[in-house]
Amino acid sequence: MHPNLLEITDLKTHFFTEGGVVPAVDGVSLSIKRGGTLGVLGESGCGKSVTGFSILRLVRPPGRIVGGAIHYFGRETVNGEDLTALDARSEALRQVRGAEIAMIFQEPMTSLDPLFTVGNQIMEAILYHQDVSKAEARKIAVEMLDKVRMPQPADVIKQYPHQLSGGMRQRVMIAMALSCEPQLLIADEPTTALDVTTEAQILELMRELQDELGMAIMFITHDLGVIAEMAEEVAVMYLGKVVEQSDIQSLFADPQHPYTRALMQSIPKVGQKSSGRLEAIRGMVPSPRRIPSGCPFHPRCANFIADLCNVKTPQLKKTRAGHSVSCFLYDDGGSSNGA
Amino acid sequence: MAPDQSNVVLEVQNLKKYFPISAGLLRREVGQVRAVDGISFTIPPRKTLGLVGESGCGKTTAAHTIMRGLEPTGGQVIFHDALLGAVDLATADKETLFQVRRNMQMVFQDPQSSLNPRMTLLDIIGEPLVIYKIAKGTELIDRVAELLKRVGLRPEYMRRFPHAFSGGQRQRIGIARALALNPQFIVADEPTSALDVSIQAQTLNLLQDLQDEFSLSYLFIAHDLSVVEHISDFVAVMYVGKIVELADTHRLYHSPKHPYTEALLSSIPRPDPAIQQTRVAIRGELPNPASPPKGCTFHPRCPYAEAICAEEEPALQEVESGHVAACHFADNLNLRGVNEF
Repeated sequence: MHPNLLEITDLKTHFFTEGGVVPAVDGVSLSIKRGGTLGVLGESGCGKSVTGFSILRLVRPPGRIVGGAIHYFGRETVNGEDLTALDARSEALRQVRGAEIAMIFQEPMTSLDPLFTVGNQIMEAILYHQDVSKAEARKIAVEMLDKVRMPQPADVIKQYPHQLSGGMRQRVMIAMALSCEPQLLIADEPTTALDVTTEAQILELMRELQDELGMAIMFITHDLGVIAEMAEEVAVMYLGKVVEQSDIQSLFADPQHPYTRALMQSIPKVGQKSSGRLEAIRGMVPSPRRIPSGCPFHPRCANFIADLCNVKTPQLKKTRAGHSVSCFLYDDGGSSNGA
Repeated sequence: MAPDQSNVVLEVQNLKKYFPISAGLLRREVGQVRAVDGISFTIPPRKTLGLVGESGCGKTTAAHTIMRGLEPTGGQVIFHDALLGAVDLATADKETLFQVRRNMQMVFQDPQSSLNPRMTLLDIIGEPLVIYKIAKGTELIDRVAELLKRVGLRPEYMRRFPHAFSGGQRQRIGIARALALNPQFIVADEPTSALDVSIQAQTLNLLQDLQDEFSLSYLFIAHDLSVVEHISDFVAVMYVGKIVELADTHRLYHSPKHPYTEALLSSIPRPDPAIQQTRVAIRGELPNPASPPKGCTFHPRCPYAEAICAEEEPALQEVESGHVAACHFADNLNLRGVNEF
């Protein structure tokens, strides 16, 4: 068996809008190990969600995958296949979606249909992918709700989404996503809309279910605390590109890209109150329609080197085992102190 | 009236806001949601009180009731106005409210929906100056230009509309509007929760700089406990309409006295993979404020609950000087602070 479950190579997903081309994902390469957790960290507009949608081939016009490959090494039916080569409406891809790769989203209310009961919605995926009767599907749905620690699952399947709280809805989403025992779960900011105590419960649930079921997780978030808690490997994205990639310990112990370092310094750290100001990153994330030349971070970078960073685009380079960064500061194997 | 020299800007006493629940054809009142149920606190000049709690706990309703955007059901809101002296906002008449509101302003969570898309920045930021007949014509333009500069926006942008700006810039516009009348007191309701991480730090720094420069007092409402710790001098924790704990920031974060505070602190995802957190397991979710549990509202979720907690509601009492908590066992429990999980 291939050691990686998913390999993304030089993926480019662009949006052809009236105002011009938006390169939302622009040459992203990532891999996800079997049963592992890859965190994708970035701010709004960095392309982290579009990467997730591209894997499932759910990017809608005017968006389109214009380059690269997504190799998926799943069960017999799809093994080593390039998902970008499949027709988005093909039967092969339908077998992948839900059964092999499932996705959960930030806002569980908008991802659930208000007109159908929770049970109905979980059963739909089970009936599509598994050869079972309605009664059996209902039984699996109750089991799944029980698995996500839903109190009184037999009653909950008769309820409508509006009757549940945000945390309970997210549990329903997870139950639905895991009902066909996928190999990969793409979780796009699954706890961002939740309160802190509920968030802690959901994160713990996801970890327990991963131990139990052995699926890999691609965890997309902007929250450094959540990523530190969930991920084994992290890809930091900025304006459609991966700027740093590392195992989680190394990333937090020795963040290398000026963007990653600045992000970590800009957040208040609980339990370490100081009366001083925060180290803010100057400027703002540029519009994806007007991506700066050269390194996309150069207008905000504290280590900007004139006539280099604004001219040439740095490539992702390995600085040590398991840690890569795309920044000219590391070109000569230089120190992390930079300019 | 003589200028008020007291060392308090805002005193909230036993403030209540109940919403009726009506049902049936005649919309008869069948119950009440006690969104804010008897909260009290004070804010000294140039200080920040952080108000934290999970969604539905009543923190935003509390802010709107303090500003008298909502009519309070009971209680007092004493505002020590620099010109008018102490005014009870809960009972003040229209004219007094109009005068007092010069000195108290609000910054909202969503800079998208709190700015009128059909108004230019000049209209938005200048509006309070026009309403209070403080400036017009070129003087108004100069004042708006000055305000824009102060919040870090270019004055040339004043004829543009909000849609031309990013979220972080829009929040600066909202802050400039709040500053226009040179207030004493600002309520900031989740001012950074809609912003990106890299923009959040800029906005928090701006709020702190403005506090020093204009001697502002803040009521800072947020659910992000790291942000609240950073910006606040004192913190109040709300749960189902009530304040369950209030103390200066360091004590609240490092030696909490209410089990709910401990649970909140233990739930914060820490940006450090080396920390292996041991969480306080709290069960279930927030109760429905229309029918809160009997006794202590937190008892069904509390890991330390005993028989008395389901029967008697604990009063908010002083555990140490300046540190209050509403728990029957506040003196006995040895709860963990934020760095002990």
